[in-house]
Amino acid sequence: MEAAQVRGREAVFAPVLHRYRAREVGTALLFLAPSLVLFGLFTFWPLVRTFDLSFYGSDIIGRPTLFVGTRQYGQLLASPALRDTLVATVLFAGMTVIPSLVLGLVLALLLQARIAAIGVFRTLMATPFAFSVATAAVVFAIFYNPGVGVFNGFLQLLHLRPVGWLTNPSAALPSVAIASVWLQLGYNVLVLSAGLQAIPDEIYEAARLDGARVLAMIRYVTLPLLTPSLFFLLVVTTIISLQSFGQIHILTRGGPANSTTTLVYAIYYNSFAFGNSNFGLSSAMAVVLFAIVVAITAAQFGLLERRVFYR
Amino acid sequence: MRRLALAVAAALFAAACGGGATVQQASPLDNATPPSKPVEVTFWHGFAAGANQDATNALVQKFNDAHKGDIHVTATYQGTYDDTLAKLKAAIQANQPGTLPSLSQIYDIGTRFMIDSKAIQPMQAFIDHDKFSTADLEPNILGYYSIGGKLYSMPWNISTPLLYYNKDAFREAGLDPEKPPQTLDQIRAAAEKLTKKDGSGNITQYGFGAAIYGWFLEQLTAKADLQFCNNGNGRDKNASKVLFNQPEDVKIVDWWTRMVGDGVALNTGRNTTDAQNAFKAGRFAMNLESTGALRGYQSSVKFQLGAGFFPRSTANAGVGGAIPGGASLWIMNGKPSYEQKAAWEFVKFLEQPDNMAYWHTHTGYFPVDKKALNDPADQAWVQQYPLFRAAIDQLHATKLDKATQGCLLGVMPQTRQAAEVGIENAILKKASPQKAMDDAAAAIQPQIDQYNQAVAAK
Amino acid sequence: MSRSIRRGLSYLVLAAVTFVLLFPLLYAISGSLMSAQELSRYPPALIPSSPRLSSFADVLKAIPLARQYLNSAVVSIVVMLGQLVTATSAAYAFGFLRFPLRNLAFAVFLATMMIPWEAVIIPNYLFMAGNGLLNTYPALILPFLATGFGTFLLRQFFLTFPRDLFEAALVDGCGHLRFLWTILVPLSRPALASLGIYAFLQTWNQYFWPLLVTKTSTMQTLQIGISSLRDTEAATAPNFILAGVVLALIPALFLIYVGQRHIVRGLTSGALRG
Repeated sequence: MEAAQVRGREAVFAPVLHRYRAREVGTALLFLAPSLVLFGLFTFWPLVRTFDLSFYGSDIIGRPTLFVGTRQYGQLLASPALRDTLVATVLFAGMTVIPSLVLGLVLALLLQARIAAIGVFRTLMATPFAFSVATAAVVFAIFYNPGVGVFNGFLQLLHLRPVGWLTNPSAALPSVAIASVWLQLGYNVLVLSAGLQAIPDEIYEAARLDGARVLAMIRYVTLPLLTPSLFFLLVVTTIISLQSFGQIHILTRGGPANSTTTLVYAIYYNSFAFGNSNFGLSSAMAVVLFAIVVAITAAQFGLLERRVFYR
Repeated sequence: MRRLALAVAAALFAAACGGGATVQQASPLDNATPPSKPVEVTFWHGFAAGANQDATNALVQKFNDAHKGDIHVTATYQGTYDDTLAKLKAAIQANQPGTLPSLSQIYDIGTRFMIDSKAIQPMQAFIDHDKFSTADLEPNILGYYSIGGKLYSMPWNISTPLLYYNKDAFREAGLDPEKPPQTLDQIRAAAEKLTKKDGSGNITQYGFGAAIYGWFLEQLTAKADLQFCNNGNGRDKNASKVLFNQPEDVKIVDWWTRMVGDGVALNTGRNTTDAQNAFKAGRFAMNLESTGALRGYQSSVKFQLGAGFFPRSTANAGVGGAIPGGASLWIMNGKPSYEQKAAWEFVKFLEQPDNMAYWHTHTGYFPVDKKALNDPADQAWVQQYPLFRAAIDQLHATKLDKATQGCLLGVMPQTRQAAEVGIENAILKKASPQKAMDDAAAAIQPQIDQYNQAVAAK
Repeated sequence: MSRSIRRGLSYLVLAAVTFVLLFPLLYAISGSLMSAQELSRYPPALIPSSPRLSSFADVLKAIPLARQYLNSAVVSIVVMLGQLVTATSAAYAFGFLRFPLRNLAFAVFLATMMIPWEAVIIPNYLFMAGNGLLNTYPALILPFLATGFGTFLLRQFFLTFPRDLFEAALVDGCGHLRFLWTILVPLSRPALASLGIYAFLQTWNQYFWPLLVTKTSTMQTLQIGISSLRDTEAATAPNFILAGVVLALIPALFLIYVGQRHIVRGLTSGALRG
């Protein structure tokens, strides 16, 4: 099956006048209905309720009893805690997305080597994908353990000073990010390997005949043709990192000194942790998080997608 | 006739659509008869798999066998204490009869909230109705869960804090292994002798280590016979602010900061499991932990274990004492009276001396019933774990007053977190101890205010 | 540099990198076979001196593992099938059909990927509680049957399908459903397999929602069981927890190692290809 000779997503459909056939519209509605109903019930209606809840203070059980209007938003946006939380959120996203893409690319390129048993390596490198956030975080917790951790054990053997991976506020966020990057690498390597394999050999042959060397080939042939996969991963890993919860909960509970409290964790913290039930406040935070995610994704699509080379 | 029909229709409509209060509150004093026997009692607890859960299930089985056909208790694990409380709140909010348990185990720091939730039936109601005698229950333990002489929940799994130490290390350092330090200053002096370095200057053994656990600060405050929150430690009326930035507490945090900063104590963070593992691995020679850790330590440490009273910050030994920690049992009031009474039967069962002795010997929790200590099985256990004596002596040596009753605060779990953040900031040198604790107190104040406002508004 | 040296170097680098990537799994397996003593040493041991399976037995005693495996499997399979159905039909509409507001509708689907689950968890919980669905399979399954991500993935894939083939089929009198079922689906097997595996694993690995809506240990899923090991008294012995981790990983690892080729093929043919 040959790929169509198209450029850009709109051109998939030949430029036809915008005439819609009733039957086609009806079929479309039928095909979209199940998803839309489910989204309505479990995503959009709850979101509306959350938005509604954000205008109420919560009583001690968590019931929305006191209408406070936008005061909660005012308090939230003015609080220095929110600033720290946003900084942590953005830092965490940066520390997770960029390394996981770069490392994923490097590993995928390595896996292009034409040696026997490359398939074995490729399969093994997918291992992190099998881990859940819970299982990965539990294992990394043992690595980072402040008293008897494996990593500090290594450092001790090398006569180096131990690191407060999870007890030092400057180290905690990177430590959690390392666990996240590891977890994400499995999938990233899979996707990028697939993308690399899809590049036909003829193109490389042609480039080689033109005298291109390895690095130049990567820069001018591989990367542009890989942009669909890279873009896809960029969007997906950014969204995932902005919503990361499990690894923070298991490794640091948002500490030490709130250094790993991202916005999602703050939402959880205010809703469920330590006897909290400030659903009004956490709903306001959730709305803020939603706005941020939408803004960043829209920016990615707006600014970057046009550079994606769909061929 | 038409009006009656309309009223019936309205009632049926309300019942069918589940709007409004579908959970009826019942008094245990009424004599409603159950529609069918056995009466089902659902019991929520926070014991994950292990000895505690096994002991719980064994007691439940024993009760069910003794009450066959009459009452049937089903105990289910709901997650950690925090998760159990979160689920309970959600269930109260959902307000559907089936979602609430009959009986729930809630940790000590959830006490004020449970009382203010108005979703519980105080134990005192059953005690008065049954003319149950609480004379045999430890007054120092009942003290935590009573306000103005009225008992709200039944204490069940109680633990107290101790100072654990490595007797071998003591001997090596020239310290008397039978005389553990009693004050923070004495701990400091001992820690300096106990810290060992190897040839290249790396520390192989620290003198002291403890998790940054807010409970320890609360205990040290009680040992100094001081209150942790105002308004009579929250017992005269709802507390309106915390006192953990008072001079004595700042002194304690300063002591801790210096211990870590001067390299005689290891900071393993806020997680108690991490500190326990480090102690077991011999990373430090003295450790603060609860009686709950005793059996685990005894079975896994490779050195000779010692245990002494939890330290005090002050020189005066005659006042103050330790606060009983752990959890208690709460009967929910949104249930028919026969179900509440059945739950009460189960509670009484658990507090009997023989069952308390079983509970103590199988879990290490402190027996709430004094008579349990005379049970031969219990005495044999204490022979096997003589270090537990320290806990018994410490509890009996405590003078019950507002300080040692413990602070009752609606947002106590969050307050404990705030205290931990304060201590952490001081230890990590992000702020001076005074500033760290002041900031922490300021951070929790809005939540206290919001809580009190919400309670007053109801 | 000679060919064989270059090849040797490739193997070396690959082996080193793979080892680093595999280390958490290797340590989990190794630790699950160690005794508690070995794991509380410092520096900790890396290889068990006398491997034993007792930790696994302890885990099996601690939680009803078989039942929880079953729960996770049932929920994951049903969600996977549900997502395949809803995503395929929705992606078909976006990829092949013309209708007004199509871009807006697609944006709506994308938007669902951005709504943090934490934002809607309480209203969803109240919905389940209010309808008596707590502690049931539907509560674990219903909220996840539709997928913006899956629709996105399949739509990208369908967009690369040659338009002329589609129009030819229609001209031949093939209805949409027949085209979908007899032509498109067989050709999309790799992409569908990839989505299926992803959906299965996502559901298999869920943690917070199952914790909130299940009340009894017979209804809880595997992740809850494994994570509850951390809260047990034996949790101070990491070998116990690692044994649980290994047990939870086995089906996922199997899926990955076996299905990896499908995933690669699925991602190769179409969607992310130029």
